[in-house]
Amino acid sequence: MNAALPFGLPGATAFYLVLYLATFVVHMMFMHYVLAGATYLACGRLLGKARCAACEWQGILLDWLPFATGLAITAGVAPLLFVQMLYGREFATANLLLSHRWMAILPVLIVCFYLLYLQKSAWISRRQWVWRPLVAVAVCAGFLFIALSWTENHLLMLDHAAWPRLYESGSLRYESPGLLPRLAAWFFLAFPSLAIELAWQGRLTGVGIHAVPQPTAAVVGLSPVRRLALTAGAGLVGCVTAALLYWSTLSVSVRDAVAGPLAGPWLAILCGAVAVQAAVWFIAAIRGRLSLPLLFAATGGWIVGLVAVAVVREAIRLSAVDLAASAASHAAALRIGGLPVFLVFAVLNAAAIAWCIYVVRMTTHPPMKDKVIDRGG
Amino acid sequence: MNDMPPLEYFPVVDVGPLMKGLVIGGLGIFHVFLAQFAIGGGMLLCYLQWLHMRGACRLARRFADDYFKVLVLVSFVLGAVTGVAMWFTSIQVSPRTIATMVREFHWVWATEWTFFCLEVVAGYLFYRYGPRLTDPARLQLLLLYSGASWMSLFWINGILSWQLTPGGWLESHDVWAGFFNPGFLPSLIFRTISAAAIAALAACVLVNAVGGFSREERHELVAVCARPLVAMLAMPLVGAWYLATMPADSRGWTTGGSVPMTLFLTMAVGSSTLVGLYAVVAILRQRLYVNGATATLLLALAFAATAGGEFVREGVRKPFTIREYLYSNSIARDGIGQLRQRGCATDDPYPLRDAAAYPNAQLALGAKVFRVQCSVCHTLEGMNAVCELAATWSIDQRRLNIAQLQRTKPFMPPFAGTPAEVEAVVQLIGWIRAGRPPDWEEAHDAAVLAQIGRWLDEAGTGPGDARLAATGPLR
Repeated sequence: MNAALPFGLPGATAFYLVLYLATFVVHMMFMHYVLAGATYLACGRLLGKARCAACEWQGILLDWLPFATGLAITAGVAPLLFVQMLYGREFATANLLLSHRWMAILPVLIVCFYLLYLQKSAWISRRQWVWRPLVAVAVCAGFLFIALSWTENHLLMLDHAAWPRLYESGSLRYESPGLLPRLAAWFFLAFPSLAIELAWQGRLTGVGIHAVPQPTAAVVGLSPVRRLALTAGAGLVGCVTAALLYWSTLSVSVRDAVAGPLAGPWLAILCGAVAVQAAVWFIAAIRGRLSLPLLFAATGGWIVGLVAVAVVREAIRLSAVDLAASAASHAAALRIGGLPVFLVFAVLNAAAIAWCIYVVRMTTHPPMKDKVIDRGG
Repeated sequence: MNDMPPLEYFPVVDVGPLMKGLVIGGLGIFHVFLAQFAIGGGMLLCYLQWLHMRGACRLARRFADDYFKVLVLVSFVLGAVTGVAMWFTSIQVSPRTIATMVREFHWVWATEWTFFCLEVVAGYLFYRYGPRLTDPARLQLLLLYSGASWMSLFWINGILSWQLTPGGWLESHDVWAGFFNPGFLPSLIFRTISAAAIAALAACVLVNAVGGFSREERHELVAVCARPLVAMLAMPLVGAWYLATMPADSRGWTTGGSVPMTLFLTMAVGSSTLVGLYAVVAILRQRLYVNGATATLLLALAFAATAGGEFVREGVRKPFTIREYLYSNSIARDGIGQLRQRGCATDDPYPLRDAAAYPNAQLALGAKVFRVQCSVCHTLEGMNAVCELAATWSIDQRRLNIAQLQRTKPFMPPFAGTPAEVEAVVQLIGWIRAGRPPDWEEAHDAAVLAQIGRWLDEAGTGPGDARLAATGPLR
């Protein structure tokens, strides 16, 4: 294809691809919060009781992770639907080949979900401190296992030649040179997302502005904003490093395809978005504060970056799967009725969700007036 | 025009001695029970909040908050994840069935997803802020939560009932003809009543489980929460309506044609009757005090009723997963003839995992044919084992019964392969019955293969039941 994604694709295929990418980006936003949040919490718990008490971000995460997990699962349903529309054969085959190992993500997810509730329960707060890092590490390990399984599943989808061989071997593990770098890239990518989401949460809830006891903060180190900057910065560096490693495992033809007209422009946009985020967090770390314009700039870079990374990911997949070959079936699927109903209810339910938030906010929160997240540290 | 290929090849999952049907059935029952608890729970909470606002129940608001915590912990976690698990398990069991459902109803599913989003947000906001909200705000959130959860039932019910009664969709492939199929309405009403009953019984358990209520207060709350059980009085009527919409052969399984189906239906009806009777006598007329143990027993009976009902709903679709369109083994109804010529294992790209275990190529072919056509419902030596079912048959009986599978058992699909493939399966069964000896001679008697061919032709390529066969091929 000589046009940037999704323009070179047939209409119906491009339509489903855009829907898939849009819903996948929303899913990523919640999934990043959960994955990076659980890791942040586990690391925080391992650093000890005093540091935990002084870190308001951990308090927020403890409180909101169960809800975010529910949102991540719910938001994941739509991309799961559209990925089957686009890559049904590949997705089902990878699921079947990994079989019980793949299905293990479900009990693991249930256990992690309940452990998140346990983490914030009064029950655990009455127990010895040692239980808290234990539970937090277990949650983090569980989510990492799920991330590993999704990465493995994705890479296996692309490797048609390996399917009969893997089936015959009876192995439930798919090994690929790209597995760990790709997992690492996605894992680190979650941290800049978490930093921005926490910054907004801090701004909207007032935590991180007034709640930091300054003397304690001085004892335990960084200010809330610098913590976020460190989190985002480490995530960006880790992500870029791992992505370069993953790039080195790709074949020349795949690299050419991705760097060419298909995704080259998106790759450039991605680099720009990473640069914007890096610059914002660098300034925030120097100043020790994050003004609203800077937060908006970081958020813009973040959203554009997520879209770009999703498209680049798709370009790599398209080098293994010929979507255009399924164009006729996509066109036939698009002719099946139901799209107007979906659009109507999508708008109505989005309005209903906004109404729910409005009702609760009007009852429980006064309007916010603060302009700056934090001046401490 | 049905332009589906006769068969699509996927790697076949082996669940050992278990039947795949048991795996998805067990998970399905569990998920349906949780989902109905969530739907009924939403309706009950709206009712409790309304009673509180009218001043008709002084304990309603307090109990609603307790109830919602349980609802979130059970439904938002287990309910949500088992929902995803149902999807993944469907792929494991029958990727082609779920792919067809996704293709035909993806906008319906996408619409359902928008309601999931509303349900999760409204529910979680209530869970988190409910105790601090004003009564009107609480009621608004609960109504939106409850409405969204019921609408998710509305959408999925259309897809599930379509599998058994696709109605006009078979002719037109119109999504709404399939969605509003003959079974849609009775199934929706029946499930709504079930949801209300399960939530009421769960509330009776919870009233006794949470602390802080005196015996009189518990008695009062049980009486209030049990009111939705009155709806169970309509169950026989709606159940009969649902049975009436079933295809005649499917209805026949439940009314004596198949002992397991009839037994499971009896279990569902019996359990529901017991719950209904106890609800009327003990709870609604307040003749007995319902303690935690009794309420738990009633809830267990409701689970048994759900299990029985779901088992029947899944079972009566046989020999199809999508009625008159796709057989239980994922072979297209109109593709049998093609596979009789080409063979079902000829184009299978996946090798056997244990190829070296078979002494000759014919047995290996038999294993491949079994994998493609039989393994979705049968095992070789575990649950519902083919070798046990055919244990007492002579070798010619095996040939005949497999070649004319749809006549051997009317809920079996027709055999979709060549005479050589029938013989390969017969030889495989014989070899396993003989204790898997290391040497086994291949059987290629031309007269035998010709006889198998005649049997296949006699049985034809349609389903076994005359009522189904009469409908002819799809247009």
